[in-house]
Amino acid sequence: MAQRHVILGASLAGATAAITLREEGADGDVILIGAEPQPPYERPPLSKAYLRGEVPFDKALVRPAAFYAEHEIQTMFGTRATRIDPSARVVELEDHRRVSFDVLLIATGGRNRTVSIPGVDLDGIYSLRTVQDADRIRAEMIAGRRAVVVGMGFIGSEVAASLRQKGLDVVVIDPSKTPLFRVLGEDVGRTIARLHRDHGVRMIFEDTVAAFEGTRRVGCVVTKAGLRVECDFAVVGIGIEPAVEALADSGIHIDNGVVVDEYCQTNVSGIYAAGDVANHFHPVFDRRIRVEHWQNAIKQGAAAARNMLGRRIAYDEIHWFWSDQYDANLQYAGFHTPWEQLVVRGRLDSGSYLACYVNAGRIDAAVGLNRAKEVRRIMPLIKARRPVNLEQLRDESVDLRSLHEIS
Amino acid sequence: MAAEFVTTIKATEIPVGGLTAIDVRGTRLAVANVGGTYYAFDDACTHEQCSLAEQGELAGATLTCTCHGSEFDVRTGNVLAPPATVPVKAYRTRVEGDALQIEV
Repeated sequence: MAQRHVILGASLAGATAAITLREEGADGDVILIGAEPQPPYERPPLSKAYLRGEVPFDKALVRPAAFYAEHEIQTMFGTRATRIDPSARVVELEDHRRVSFDVLLIATGGRNRTVSIPGVDLDGIYSLRTVQDADRIRAEMIAGRRAVVVGMGFIGSEVAASLRQKGLDVVVIDPSKTPLFRVLGEDVGRTIARLHRDHGVRMIFEDTVAAFEGTRRVGCVVTKAGLRVECDFAVVGIGIEPAVEALADSGIHIDNGVVVDEYCQTNVSGIYAAGDVANHFHPVFDRRIRVEHWQNAIKQGAAAARNMLGRRIAYDEIHWFWSDQYDANLQYAGFHTPWEQLVVRGRLDSGSYLACYVNAGRIDAAVGLNRAKEVRRIMPLIKARRPVNLEQLRDESVDLRSLHEIS
Repeated sequence: MAAEFVTTIKATEIPVGGLTAIDVRGTRLAVANVGGTYYAFDDACTHEQCSLAEQGELAGATLTCTCHGSEFDVRTGNVLAPPATVPVKAYRTRVEGDALQIEV
C-alpha cells in the first residue's frame, strides 16, 4: 500500500530525504513542511561567501525551486509544525492545518541559543541561522565599521573572518582560552587564534559579555572583567539548541535532541529523525552523537529516507566538516571526547598540519589546517577503530594510505 | 576558433591513477589517468574553484575534491556528490605516438 511520507523541516536534511525518497522509488505522497518561507537551502555560505556578497542566494538552494513540484514532492513552506500526535498519525501546523502521515521524518534542525544579558534586545545585535539573518548582518557590513562577535565557535570564527575580509574592525569575546576550544582543544585552538590575530582581529578570551549598552542601538559591549568595547553592531554566535517544541507530550524520546538508533528511527514506530536535531546512535563510536554539520544533514537525511522505505541500512558515516576562514581550509573528521594524545603531522605553529585525537592508540578524530587530502585519507583509519603506529602517523614521509595497523 | 587537438605533455608523464595540471592555450586543465585512459577537464572545481589536480583524490574514475568533498566522474565531468552542483567541463583526449593531445 502506498505510504504517506511527511517530513518536518525543509532544510538540507529534510530536502535531501524528500529527494532520496523519490530517487529510491517511494510510491505515495512525499510532503515537505518547513518553517522558513523559501525553498530549502544550504547554510554554509551564510557565514562565508553569501555573507560577503560573493554568491547569490540561488547558489545555496538545495535544488531549484521548481524541482519539488516536478518530482511530485508537495511543499508547505512558511509554516511550522506545532504538535505531533503519534497515535492519530497527525501533524498539526501553526496555521491550524492538520497533515496525516504513515511515516514521519523529524528534521526540524536547531535554533540559536539566546542569552538574557542586559541590553540584548537593543537594535544592531544579530545572530545567524537563516538567510534573513545573513541579510541583516550584510546590511551592516560596511568597511571601517566596528563589529563585536560574541562566541568563537565555528559560526563566530567564520563571521569574524568574513567581517575582516570586508574591511570591518572586529573584536571577538569568548569565555574559553582560544577559538573553537570546546571541540578542538587549546593546542589547536591557539593556531586558530593566531590565524585571526594575523588578520587583524582583536580577541578577548576568558571573559564574557556583561551588558550591551546603547540608547536604541548597541554602541558598546561591556564585559564581566570590565572592558568596554565600542561598536556599531554585534553578532552573537553561541551555538544552537535542537528544535523539539512540537514533540512535547508526543511520547517521542527527547534527550539533547530527538533520540534515534542507527537506523534513524525514534522509539515510536514509523517516526524518524535526521540532521541537527537527531541525537543518533553511532555504531562506529558506540555512543550517541548529535552533529550540526552540512555533511551529516545530507548523509543522514538520505539514510533516514532509505530506512523510511524499509531498507534497514545502518547510518555509520564518519562525520566530517570544513570551515573556511580567510584563505585557510580547516577540516575535521571523526568524533572525539577528551583525548590522551594529540599526534601532529607537521607543526602546529605552521600554516599546515594534521592533528589527530588519539585514545588507546586509536585515532578518534583528526583536524587539518590546509591538509584536505590527509583529512580524507585518515577517515578509513578512524573508521577502522584499531590502534595505529603513532610513529608512522607522525612521520610526514609516510603516506597515510599505507599506514600500518598494529596487529 | 574551432576546437582542435593540441599536443601537450608525454602521456607517460601521468602514471595510472595519477592527476596532473596542464596549461593548454591559456586554460588550466587537469588530466587523470584511469587505467591507461586519459581524461581532461577544467582544473577549477565548480564549487569554490579549488585546483582539482592539486586537491583531488582519484579512485577509479571518481575524483573527490578534498577541499569540500565534491565528487566528479572524470569520464564525463558530471557531479556525483555535492556540494558542487555544476559539472566540470570535460575535453576529448587522444594519444598520438607518446604525445597526449587534448581538444580545446
